[in-house]
Amino acid sequence: MSSTTKDPSTNGAAAAAAADSDSEDDYMKMTFTDEPTFTTASSSKSKSGKPIETSLQRRLRLQREGEIRGRVKSKAELAAEEEARREAALSTSLFDKLVAPSPKAAPSSSSASASASPAPAAAAPVIGVTAKSKGLAMMAKMGFVPGTALGAKSTDSEARTEPIKISIKDGREGIGLESERKRKMREAAEAAGEMAKKAKVDEEGYRERVRREREEARLERQVHAAQKVAEGMDEDYGDEVGGEEGGIQKIEERDDDDREDGSENGSDSREKKRRKKKTGASSSRPLRAIPVVYRGLVRSREEAERERRMPYDLEQSSMLSSTRLPTYVDDELDMDDKHALGKDIGAVHKPWNTYVMAEDLDEEDPELDEFNALSPDERLRRLVLYMRDKHHYCFWCKAKYEDAEMDGCPGLTEEDHD
Amino acid sequence: MASHDDKGVKRSNMEDNGQDSKRIKRAENGDVAPEKYNPYLAHLNEDGNGNGNGNNGDFESPLDSFERHNTTAVQAAQAEDSELNPWTGQPHSQRYFDILKTRRDLPVHKQRQEFLDMYHNTQILVFVGETGSGKTTQIPQYVLYDELPHTNGKLIACTQPRRVAAMSVAQRVANELDVELGQEVGYSIRFENRTGPKTMLKYMTDGQLLRESMHDHDMSRYSCIILDEAHERTLATDILMALLKQIAARRKDLKIIVMSATLDAQKFQSYFYNAPLLAVPGRTFPVEIFYTPEPERDYLEAAVRTVLQIHATEPEGDILLFLTGEEEIEDACRRISLEVDDMIRESDAGPMKVYPLYGTLPPAHQQRIFEKAPEPLRKGGRPGRKVIVSTNIAETSLTIDGIVYVVDPGFSKQKIYNPRSRVESLLVSPISKASAQQRAGRAGRTRPGKCFRLYTEKAFKKELIEQTYPEILRSNLANTVLELKKLGVEDLVHFDLMDPPAPETMMRALEELNYLACLDDDGELTRLGGMASEFPLDPALAVMLISSPEFYCSNEILSIVSLLSVPSIWVRPNNARKRADEMKMQFAHPDGDHLTLLNAYHAYKGAETNGEDMKRWCHEHFLSYRHLSSADNVRAQLKRIMETHDIDLVSTPFQDKNYYTNIRRALLAGFFMQVAMRESSNSKVYKTVKDDQLVMIHPSTSVTSPYDWVVYNEFVLTTKQYVRTVTNIRPEWLLEIAPVYYDLDTFEKGEIKSALTRITDKVKRRQAIKGSGSALSGGSEEKDTKKDKPSLTPMNVTEFIDLVGVVVEAKDENLEKKENMKKSKKRWRKGRKKTKKEAALLVPPV
Repeated sequence: MSSTTKDPSTNGAAAAAAADSDSEDDYMKMTFTDEPTFTTASSSKSKSGKPIETSLQRRLRLQREGEIRGRVKSKAELAAEEEARREAALSTSLFDKLVAPSPKAAPSSSSASASASPAPAAAAPVIGVTAKSKGLAMMAKMGFVPGTALGAKSTDSEARTEPIKISIKDGREGIGLESERKRKMREAAEAAGEMAKKAKVDEEGYRERVRREREEARLERQVHAAQKVAEGMDEDYGDEVGGEEGGIQKIEERDDDDREDGSENGSDSREKKRRKKKTGASSSRPLRAIPVVYRGLVRSREEAERERRMPYDLEQSSMLSSTRLPTYVDDELDMDDKHALGKDIGAVHKPWNTYVMAEDLDEEDPELDEFNALSPDERLRRLVLYMRDKHHYCFWCKAKYEDAEMDGCPGLTEEDHD
Repeated sequence: MASHDDKGVKRSNMEDNGQDSKRIKRAENGDVAPEKYNPYLAHLNEDGNGNGNGNNGDFESPLDSFERHNTTAVQAAQAEDSELNPWTGQPHSQRYFDILKTRRDLPVHKQRQEFLDMYHNTQILVFVGETGSGKTTQIPQYVLYDELPHTNGKLIACTQPRRVAAMSVAQRVANELDVELGQEVGYSIRFENRTGPKTMLKYMTDGQLLRESMHDHDMSRYSCIILDEAHERTLATDILMALLKQIAARRKDLKIIVMSATLDAQKFQSYFYNAPLLAVPGRTFPVEIFYTPEPERDYLEAAVRTVLQIHATEPEGDILLFLTGEEEIEDACRRISLEVDDMIRESDAGPMKVYPLYGTLPPAHQQRIFEKAPEPLRKGGRPGRKVIVSTNIAETSLTIDGIVYVVDPGFSKQKIYNPRSRVESLLVSPISKASAQQRAGRAGRTRPGKCFRLYTEKAFKKELIEQTYPEILRSNLANTVLELKKLGVEDLVHFDLMDPPAPETMMRALEELNYLACLDDDGELTRLGGMASEFPLDPALAVMLISSPEFYCSNEILSIVSLLSVPSIWVRPNNARKRADEMKMQFAHPDGDHLTLLNAYHAYKGAETNGEDMKRWCHEHFLSYRHLSSADNVRAQLKRIMETHDIDLVSTPFQDKNYYTNIRRALLAGFFMQVAMRESSNSKVYKTVKDDQLVMIHPSTSVTSPYDWVVYNEFVLTTKQYVRTVTNIRPEWLLEIAPVYYDLDTFEKGEIKSALTRITDKVKRRQAIKGSGSALSGGSEEKDTKKDKPSLTPMNVTEFIDLVGVVVEAKDENLEKKENMKKSKKRWRKGRKKTKKEAALLVPPV
């Protein structure tokens, strides 16, 4: 049995076959403890095999063996077997062979048979040399002890006790590709494992989760609504004050007309930095200037807008040259060309009449991320507070109050308004 | 008769006159006093010098005032500057002074005195100098001017890992010393010795020094041994280091210099009892290193792409691309050339020349890499450049100036041996970090350069090993163990190697030598083993050669061994593969590639005796003239060794039906451990004996109908497992020729054992029927017939030459046979069984 406990570790693919032989061994062990591996050897190939075998059985067995031998193996089978044998040979120390002379089933054959048919198991060699190696005897005479390394006696040997491993490279994969692939597979496996873990939730938990999810979805909707209201109120306020507050400007939300030059106050210096050559209008201020409570709303809208324009932009640029970067200015184009290409002929001074995109759209926004990480009810609470502070507006009463006292509003929460 | 005598006298007089006139002429130059050459006064000169200098006592040399192991750089420089060559007494040529000037510019020159000081004070010295520092050519000369070999008759040896390096460096140094190669400066490599009685400085391969020391355990011929390129850690260098470490303790007068090109010299220092270190900076420029952001899917593709990108965007400078082997290199060259043509057409790129470089490339082609980069296509056009696509020979051994860009995919072909499956093969493997640095350094030889690594920085750090494994850990040690035994090393287990190999490797080697009967069961060298160690061959080949007279075919086996000792003689150019294969078929023997080789060699010798232009003949027959002539040379060398050991050179007459059978049997005497058995009758798959590895016969074989049992020359491991150079054998022969190895009790259970058991039974039965009961079947018959035939007595060499003629004639017969076979090829494909019968008819009866 000691042999079978080792086997599965040598080859994963052999697991099934190993398990098979395991049970067989167990069965045999109960009766003939002396010859645990006898059957594995004889069951398929040994001629002198079982003492009790009828002629009929024998004929059937021989026929079966003949068929197996006669079958031409496919290339893949062959390659697999080749490799399995090589690995088997390479992973067994020559000393182990000598130290454990009792024959044991080769793991190589079982791995090959697992993939193909049970047949090639017949070809399995029984590893283990009965005769002691003369080479080892000579070395022992010189004072060699198996398990130690060669070399001068004095040095604390860091010399190797094992031969260098052979790894066969097939194909022309670069260095690191294999390990990268393995890493990805491992990660995928881990992710799958986590998913599986999550799935294991009891019924109680399920109901609880559904209820919670519904509640969260409702809150999310309320947050969204509150954001819209807050934005609208800020805009109205901004109009009234006339850009007093600097960063906050009017945003034309649904501006479908690309042709209309709608960038209201984009200064030239800022526009030069803009990447897209496109007419159109939208917000021209940095997202940072927008209060964090509804910045997420603006941001997602901008992103959606950009997504929508992408195909058109690409088409435009590919008409010039697909390889050219967007920063490329083609001096050779005269006015007619520009007109033909849909460029703004009117804006001679401003050759880059650009779709105004919030310039920090691609940048990281830790403040916003932090806000979004809050639970929905907390976000809602902040929104409500924001509107109360700034506009004396109660989200729940749906009413604007005259002063900061907000007389008549029952409270801060939804429950207060019930 | 009298007149004849007179003539003789006259001639001798004339000779004397001639000599005199020469001497006078020299005297007239005013350099040497004429009376010096009076032989009767020679002793006076010797007294005057008091140095007792042997071979150059007939002229005054600045060296005469030198004191051994107490010279200075200034003294040496003066001697070098003198009008007369201090070693030969001949006036220096102009070329000598030209070279001397460039020599004085080398980085090592500045540290000559420092070197001498250290050299005088230590027995063992470690010297580090990067390639281009001049250490290989200069250090031995510095030693020469300090050791003064003419005073004690002891030589200076400088070892090189490669034959080509030994030859070319010796030539260079001979030029630098203004002497003739083979005289004062010589070289000695396997199968070629160019040294003479005057030789003082000898360049040699490390293997050659090892072989020499088998007969001179103390290396007493040498006063100083320089191990060059020790960082390459070849098998022979490693063994030499261990030996020299021992010898140094015995011979305090022997000086040892270990030279390395890399900075891991500390390992050498500590190995040699903390020997002092002298480092000479090389002349290098910084190299910028780039990694790819992602691992590459196809490094060849990526390499080609990178080369083209460099050509398109980087300023002037040549490119060096490292790949793994001939096929890959040629492929890359083709692809780059094609793409560059497109680039020139489409985007006005500069011209680019592409040169391949690998070991088996003919020397003339190898030289082409030193050609200048092409000129711009038109005046003011973009600069031309050259790209060299090379194996790792360009990593250390070869220096190409003008390289500014290096492309490194990170692979090389490395020999690998594993004792567990006894596979020795060349495998494509990732290089080491040290190797990668060495490659990068190649870009900074002439000016600051760039190195593009086709792997990520992470992969460089995590996947590459620090140092390339020394060869001793990657080799079959059978030959080494035999050599060590011959060198008198008793305790192999505790032999103080720098990197001792795995114990299993040693065990395998001892075992193999025991099976070959080179070592007895106690590990002592047998007579056969002693003799085998005399041959510069692997033990299996040596044993095969030594036992070949028993099979009446030592001439033929000698030829086969020689042919197996050189690179493949078959030429198979990509553009003429089919024709090359057809030509090879002319020499093909259906029973074995060994026999095919022999046929080709015989045809070659036949054409030679017919006075053909051999280069053309070889070209027409798709054979390598270079390798065939070197095989011829090897054969002559081996023959000499055979003759000194009284090994008979015999042949079976070609007309004898056993001519080829005897050769096939003789192969087994050395290669019985390299035998494979077919898995089943209609399978192409073979299984190697005792190792149970599945293999196929290499497609290059000329064996048309392989037997169930074959002997093979090598096991080739790529993504598939092949055996190459195979010959059909009969299993009965195995039991007869190598009964110890084929002792069935030692076999593991399996198909091979059962097959061999069946054969043993069959043989026994047959013997019982015959009643003769002497030996095994096939062999016994042959032996009997041999005894009867008087023609089977040993032949002498002239007879052998005759035989070659016969063989060539007979080859035509063979050709006819081939023709018939070709005709019948169609039928061959139609019905398998039918063809088998036919094939059986073509096989010579056994």
